[in-house]
Amino acid sequence: MADRENRIHPFIPKLVDQYEQRKVDRREFLRTSTLLGLSAATAYGIVGRIDGPGFVPQARAQDATPKKGGIVRVSIRIPDLSTPHIFSWVYDSNSVRQCNDYLTRTGVDNITVPWLLENWEASDDLKTWTLRLRKDVKWSNGEQFVADHAIWNLKHMLDPATGSSVLGLFSGFLVEDKDTGQKDADGNPVMTTDYWDANAIEKKDDFTIVLNGKGPQMAVPENLFHYPAFMLWPEDNGKWGVGSPGTGPFDPAVIETGKRAVFKAREGYWGEGPYLDELHFIDHGDDPSAQVAAMASRQADGMYEASVTQYEVLKQMPHLELYQGVSAQTGVARVHPIKPFDDARVRKALRLAVDTPKLLQLAHLNIGAPGEHHHVAPVHPEYADIGLMQQDIEGAKKLLADAGYPDGIEAEISCKQDPAWELIAVQAMTEMWKQAGINVKINVMPSSAYWDNWTKVPFGFTAWTHRPLGVMVLGLAYRTGVPWNESNWSNKKFDELLSVAEGILDVEERRQAMVPIEELMLEEGPAVIPLWRGMFTFWDKKVGGFKQHPTSYIFGEQLYLNEA
Amino acid sequence: MLNFVLRRLGQMAFTIIVASFLIFAVSEWTPGSVARKTLGPYATEQQVQILTEELGLDRPVVVRYLEWAGNILQGDLGYSTLYKQPVAPIFRDRLANTAMLAAIAFAIIVPVSILFGVLAGMREGSLLDRVISVAAIICTSLPEFALGAFLSSIFVIWLGILPGTSTLDPGSGWSIASQLVLPVMVMVLYDAGYVIRMVRASMIEVMLAPYIRTAILKGLSFPDVIRRHALRNALIAPFTVILLQINYLITGVVVVEAVFAYPGFGRMMLEAALNKDVALIEAGALVAVAIAVTTQVAGDIGYMLLNPRIRIA
Repeated sequence: MADRENRIHPFIPKLVDQYEQRKVDRREFLRTSTLLGLSAATAYGIVGRIDGPGFVPQARAQDATPKKGGIVRVSIRIPDLSTPHIFSWVYDSNSVRQCNDYLTRTGVDNITVPWLLENWEASDDLKTWTLRLRKDVKWSNGEQFVADHAIWNLKHMLDPATGSSVLGLFSGFLVEDKDTGQKDADGNPVMTTDYWDANAIEKKDDFTIVLNGKGPQMAVPENLFHYPAFMLWPEDNGKWGVGSPGTGPFDPAVIETGKRAVFKAREGYWGEGPYLDELHFIDHGDDPSAQVAAMASRQADGMYEASVTQYEVLKQMPHLELYQGVSAQTGVARVHPIKPFDDARVRKALRLAVDTPKLLQLAHLNIGAPGEHHHVAPVHPEYADIGLMQQDIEGAKKLLADAGYPDGIEAEISCKQDPAWELIAVQAMTEMWKQAGINVKINVMPSSAYWDNWTKVPFGFTAWTHRPLGVMVLGLAYRTGVPWNESNWSNKKFDELLSVAEGILDVEERRQAMVPIEELMLEEGPAVIPLWRGMFTFWDKKVGGFKQHPTSYIFGEQLYLNEA
Repeated sequence: MLNFVLRRLGQMAFTIIVASFLIFAVSEWTPGSVARKTLGPYATEQQVQILTEELGLDRPVVVRYLEWAGNILQGDLGYSTLYKQPVAPIFRDRLANTAMLAAIAFAIIVPVSILFGVLAGMREGSLLDRVISVAAIICTSLPEFALGAFLSSIFVIWLGILPGTSTLDPGSGWSIASQLVLPVMVMVLYDAGYVIRMVRASMIEVMLAPYIRTAILKGLSFPDVIRRHALRNALIAPFTVILLQINYLITGVVVVEAVFAYPGFGRMMLEAALNKDVALIEAGALVAVAIAVTTQVAGDIGYMLLNPRIRIA
C-alpha cells in the first residue's frame, strides 16, 4: 500500500525531460502530468523549477489579495435546480457549482486538475484508477468529506433510473449495456446498463477509491468534471436546494426558479476565496435584448454567455469588458451513409465546397477559428496541424461526377432554430454547396424536436460542446456503434487508429497518431465542420477574477470587486 | 338577468372544456418529447424511456386528459414538468405580478384614453383631433417589442434614468417602482392608442346627435354641453371595449414581459409552451378563458345598466 502511494507513473520522468526540451508545451505538460497522478501543486512546481519563478498558476496570479466583500450579479437562466445529477445544460450547473464541488476541475486553460481529490493515479493500462480524496474538506454542515460520500454520488449518477448523462461517459469503463432478456413491442431486445463488475467502484479506505474499469479509459479526470457530476450531500438523495449542505464556497440562500438565485459566502471553505459576500444570479429570460438592457442599466455585472446578435451593442458600452476564450465548441453538419452520401467522394465534396474562414466570419463574427472537418480542435492537446482544407468548387464537382452525379445532388438538412449562429452557418453552407451543384434544402426544427431526432435525421447540423481532449470527442461521436454516433459512420480503420491513440499518454506521440485519423476524416469522414466557436461574454469592469472558460463555467469564488 | 348570467357561465364552462382538451391535443402533436426536453440531448434512449414512463406520458392522450380534468375538479392544478413543483404556487406568484402591472396600466389607460378620446372627438377634424388621432394610430401600429426597444434606447441607454429590465429584484440599485415604469409605458402607449380611437369615434357620433345640437342652440356653453350631455352618452359604447382591455393586460402581455424580463404570467406561459409543460399551459388557459368570459359578462351587464334601451328590451 505504502509502496503504491509513493509510486509515480513511469511516464512522468520522460514527460519532465520532454518539457525541459520543449517538446511539449506547458499546457500539455500540466495536463498529462496531473492526468498521471501528479498533484497539481507538484506539477506547477516542476513548471516553476524549469521556467523560473516567473510562472505562477492562474488562480494565484493576482498582484495582491483581492478585496473582500460586495455583491456581483450575473445574468443567467435559473431553471429548476432540484436534481443536479440530471442537469442537461451548462447554465443549470453554474448555479450548483457555486455551492458544491467536483472531484476534479478543468480550468480555463483546459487543464484538468484534482479538486476534491488530492491526486489520482492511473495504472499503465489505464484500466485501474486510484482516486485519493483531500482530507481537509468539510461539508457546510461540518461533516468531513469521505470516500463513502463520493461513492454514493458516483453510484447515484451511474444508476440508469437517475437519468444522468454521466452514465454514457463511463459506459464501457465502469458500466456496460446488458440485455434484460425481454423484448419490446417491436421485438428488439430491451437493454439496460449495469456495472460490468460488482467491484467496479471499490472503497479502499475512507479517503481512497479505486475505479476498476472493464476497458482502458484515459479521460477519467475529465469525465469527473462533466457538469452534472457534482458531489452532493448523500442524505439529500440527489435533491438540491436552499439548505443543502455542500463543500463549495457559497451556500444557496434563495432559489426562485425563473427569477433569481442568491448565494452567500460560507465560512470555512477549504479552498481559496470566496472574496464576495454574495453572488446573485438573475434570470432575464431568453430575450437577448433583455440581457443587453440589464447590462446597460447595470442590473447585471456579468453575463453567462453573449450571443453574436448582442455583440455589437454590448461592445459599445464603455463600462463593459469583453472576455473571449478558445474552445472546441462547434456544430457538425453530418450525413448518414445512405445514398448519395454512402459514397466517400460525395462526402468529401461536401467538405471541399465550403470555405471555412468565410463561414467563421459570416456565422460567428470571426470569433473563434475556421473549422477543420476532423473534429480535433486547435485547443485540444493532441491536435495535429495537417492544414486547413481549402475550398475547391471544381474539385468538389469532379468528385461528384466521379461518383456518378455529374448533374449534382439534391438533399435536405435538418437544423435547430437557435442559437442564431447555427442557422446562419447552415444557410451559408447551403449557398456554398449550391456552387458545387449540391442543392440542399433547410428544414428548421424547434430545438427540443431536433434533440429528439438528432441521431436519426439523415442529414443534420448538430451542436457539439467543448471537451478537453480530441480523442474524447472522436470516441463519443465517430466510433462504430456508440450511442452518440449520430452519423452512423462505421470505419474499421478509424476505430483501430482511434483505439491506438486513446492508449497513448505521450502527447507528442499521440499527436503523431492523430495525423492518419485526421487525414482519414478529411478523406472519408461523415462531417463538415464550419467553425470552432470562440466563447465570449461581457462583464462590468468593476468585477475582477473572471476568465472565459471554454465551457462557460463560472467559478464564483475567484470573483472580486476591484477597488474603486 | 339571473338567466343571462347563468347562460354566460354555462358558455364559459363549455369554452373551458373545449379549450383545455384542444391544448392537450395540440401539445400531443407538436414535435419534441417532454422527457427529452427535461433530460437534454446527452441522455440515452433508455433514460428518456424511463422518464417518459415515470411521468406517465406513454399513456393515451385521452386518459391523461381525463386524469388531469379529475384533478382540476378536486382543486389540484397539477404538477409542472418545467419547474418540477406543483403548478398552484408558481402560478399565484406570477399572476399576482402580472395583475400588479395590469392594474397600474389600466389605471392610466382609462383616464388617458377618455380624456384624449373626448378631446379629439368633440371637434372632429380640428387640429387637436388630427394630432391626437395620428399619435394614437402610430402608437397602436408599433409592435410592443419595437416600442420597448425604442423606449429602452432613450431612457436606458441614452439618458440612463430608468432600468432596462424589471425583474422585481430590489437589490440592483433600482427601486421596484422605477422598474415598472418602462413596461407600463409600453402597455399604455400600445393599448391607449386603440381605446382613444374608440372613445373618439363614439364621441363624434354623440356630437352629431340632435340633443347636442339642441343643447348648443339653447345657449349652453361648449364645456357644459360636453360635461352634462355628451360625455356620459359617449362612454356607453367604449365601456365594453375598455373592459376587454383587461384581457390583453393580463393574458396578452407576453412580449412586454419577455422584453423587460418581467417575472409574470405571460413569460411563464411562453416558457411553458416552449417546454410543453401541459399542466402549466392548461392552468394558464383556464385563467385566460375565465378572465375573458368574466370581463365579457361584466361588460354586458354594465352595458345594460348604462343603456336603458337595452335594459328595457
